Amino acid sequence: MEKIKIILDINDMPEEVEISSNDTLLEVLRDQLDLTGSKESCGEGACGSCTIHMDGKPVRSCLTLALEAEGAKIKTVEGLADGDQLTDLQQSFIDHGAVQCGFCTSGMLMSADALLKDNPKPDKTQIKKALAGNICRCTGYTKIIKAVAHAGNPREDCPDCQHDNKQKE
Amino acid sequence: MSEYTLIGKRMPRVDSRAKVMGKAKFTADLKLPGLLVGKVKRSPYAHARILSIDTSKAASLPGVKSIVTGDDTEGIKWGVFGYTRDQQFIQTEKVRYIGDEVAGVAAVDEETALKALDLIQVEYEELPAVYEPMEAMASETELIHKDFPNNVNVHVNIDTGNVDENFEKAYYVREDTYTAPEESYFQAEPYVVVANFDHEDCLEVWCPNGGPHMKSKPLSNAFKIPLHKVKIKKISIGGAFGGRSEICPADYICALLAKKTKKPVRIQFTREENTIGTRQGHAMITTHKTGVDREGRVLARETTCYMDGGAYSSTGPIATSVPFLSMEQVYRMESVRYNGYRIYTNKPIRGMIRTHGRGFASGLDTQLDMIADHLGIDPIEIRLRNVRKPGEYTSTKSLVGSCAMDETIHTAVEKSGWKEKFGKLPPFHGIGIGTNSVQTGFPMGIRGGSQSFIKFNEDGEAFVMSGVVDNGQGNDNMLVQIAAEELGLLPEDIHLVSADTETTSSDPGSYSQVSTFVGGQAVQIAAKKCRKKLFDVAAKILKVEPETLNAENRMIFVKDTPEKSVSIKKAVRISLLNFTSVNAEGGYWPKVDMKREWVKNPYGQMCEAFSFGTTIVEVKVDPETGQVEVLNATACQDVGKALNPLVLEGQFEGSVAMGGQGGMLTEYHDWKDGRCLNTTMLDYKLPLACDMPDIRCSIVESIEPKGPYGAKEAGMSIAMSAAQAYAGAVCNAIGVYMDSFPLTPDKIIAAIKKKQSRLEK
Repeated sequence: MEKIKIILDINDMPEEVEISSNDTLLEVLRDQLDLTGSKESCGEGACGSCTIHMDGKPVRSCLTLALEAEGAKIKTVEGLADGDQLTDLQQSFIDHGAVQCGFCTSGMLMSADALLKDNPKPDKTQIKKALAGNICRCTGYTKIIKAVAHAGNPREDCPDCQHDNKQKE
Repeated sequence: MSEYTLIGKRMPRVDSRAKVMGKAKFTADLKLPGLLVGKVKRSPYAHARILSIDTSKAASLPGVKSIVTGDDTEGIKWGVFGYTRDQQFIQTEKVRYIGDEVAGVAAVDEETALKALDLIQVEYEELPAVYEPMEAMASETELIHKDFPNNVNVHVNIDTGNVDENFEKAYYVREDTYTAPEESYFQAEPYVVVANFDHEDCLEVWCPNGGPHMKSKPLSNAFKIPLHKVKIKKISIGGAFGGRSEICPADYICALLAKKTKKPVRIQFTREENTIGTRQGHAMITTHKTGVDREGRVLARETTCYMDGGAYSSTGPIATSVPFLSMEQVYRMESVRYNGYRIYTNKPIRGMIRTHGRGFASGLDTQLDMIADHLGIDPIEIRLRNVRKPGEYTSTKSLVGSCAMDETIHTAVEKSGWKEKFGKLPPFHGIGIGTNSVQTGFPMGIRGGSQSFIKFNEDGEAFVMSGVVDNGQGNDNMLVQIAAEELGLLPEDIHLVSADTETTSSDPGSYSQVSTFVGGQAVQIAAKKCRKKLFDVAAKILKVEPETLNAENRMIFVKDTPEKSVSIKKAVRISLLNFTSVNAEGGYWPKVDMKREWVKNPYGQMCEAFSFGTTIVEVKVDPETGQVEVLNATACQDVGKALNPLVLEGQFEGSVAMGGQGGMLTEYHDWKDGRCLNTTMLDYKLPLACDMPDIRCSIVESIEPKGPYGAKEAGMSIAMSAAQAYAGAVCNAIGVYMDSFPLTPDKIIAAIKKKQSRLEK
């Protein structure tokens, strides 16, 4: 198949890639750009493990053609932290034990990050709705939901948020 | 104040930083120079003789680097036990299920590999197939495996005697049959393997695994090469749940393609292949006959279970036993007879799964509720009268050490508000309880123990080597936590070298719930020895006796006068200047009865400790739609000692999701003529965030004397008891005792309608 040269804006860096018209964005991210944080779990848009941001909106990169991403601002899990400085959400996932095997984590973070940008203090129902397209087989979601709720909003009564405070001191 | 600095603390996991940054590498993320794409050609028939395989067309396709068939193998068959070796990695004579491996291809890219698969021509002669255990046993057509009459793969018989006499004595006897179809793991990471032969002709393999040493041995057998030539490498693993313990034919096919092409090869499963080409949970038909006295105490029980084992043995003898063992651990029975049959069918292979025996266990608890109902006894009371007490022997003669079964029931009852709710809830609201017990280890012969090495660097930091693997449950953190606790170091000073067959000693793997008990304990023993060496050096420096010392926060200090101290780094350096390195090994082998064997002699000490759990669930059922809304779940387990409550709660919550929410409400496979119809995440209904109830976690600590810091199995007693509790709650809500699991809306509506029409008559 004929290859097309395009420039993608990924994590604030212009990246020139040679793609086929049927290459998904996930394939290009993982195979060409070595951004393997986005995962393929189902390959059909059911699990959310490949979620990235396209112009700030959470999008499944396994169902997005790389061509469609031209001209959009793409952010992947690798683009969340500022160097070694994690976001509140990433730190909250660590502190609240929201990560087990970690395979769904990137997608969860991208869905939750988009939610928090829209709504910095979501309630439990809003969080559950925002994460309904991300499947986690390990955690039962409880700690993920808590990690999102407490990200940047530490709670007095949460032993795991206090841990967060201690670390910052 | 706690006697520990890290043990028992809510310690965030050491592996989570790399995971939240997207930096943790999983097998599919690996890139090796010249990596080829491998694919497996699978059988389209459930049962067929292979007449011929023609690979010539495929081989001439540009970009195809190698094609392998059964003719390229050493003809070795795989089986967990000597007497269950029934599976070739690539079939040569016949195929036994839709998905059985017949050939492998390596090509420059996926597209070419897939094209090549289509060009491999296999001529089959279709054979009559059997898809259900009862049908398979009665079948007079060609057996699936010729040496197994009636397609019976495994028969486990346990009989403590006096069963018939005690049924005679019983005040009330009832017999009920419960069924549940197959379920699947749906690990987040689809199965994937990368294989390469290095410059010394050693086979390197990366893959999700439940124990690297359980992969290396069968591969060394299959290639007829010594064990040291197989190096299973550590890599992040995206979940296992019991489904990744055994060798997978794709491991061998991938390695064979790597050998032929002299290039690294990757085989990555599609989601469908992960469902049909790895393992599934067994479908079960279980009949429990239970006789009780007037007070509801079980005098006699006879359980017969038919398990649909699929095409090959896998962990057959273990799988056939475990549901019974969990029952005999949690409930005392004066006498019991068990007949478990694992039947070959022309369906995918069944192995161990976290929810193994959901229909068996939920049936047992449902029947107990029916008996309580009949006798006018409260469901809690009948359980308290029958559950296990510490110091007792199970029916198959395992001594139960620590056991706080009672306390888990009392705690769950109190936290869930059972007494205010049971029998007092509005219509179509219900509450249910489940109790279960899980083994901390199986008798595993020479693979039963684990050994750890610890070595110090001159900067005062330490390497810990252990064969324990982390499938996602947090084993890496557990090992670091134990080592840091014993050595007086910070977690960041401990550097783990684990789950690698070249650098670590044999280990049972993350199988049989034994990683902390055996592998963690080995690290603890090694660390204690290192600590002693450090204290001997420090004692000389500080001019005190070693017994007066303690270590914490990188310092060794005198307990009574902490200002008298020396850094661990300095102690290490001084030791080195005195020509002594600071390192140690530690090993732990559980004292089980080595004569106990799953089929031939199922009696004797099974493992050193058992966990006990209670789950209570409250639900609301919509009688129009049959939908179940779960209002809350209370999970309470005796874990011996909670090494890390943060991680432990995660196990409880995940167990409620997989065992209860998925296991009892939505998860099952649909079939048509041996073909699985719901293999993907769109069709197989996994619990989502919006489905989950609030979960209260309660930890009970009985301090197991043989476990590290008192720890034993943690989490799985919740997975099984959650299934039982969900079943009980739905039955309580609709006022019907159900016998077919999971409890999907169609079954619930049918049960409600049947009950209503009966009442109208």
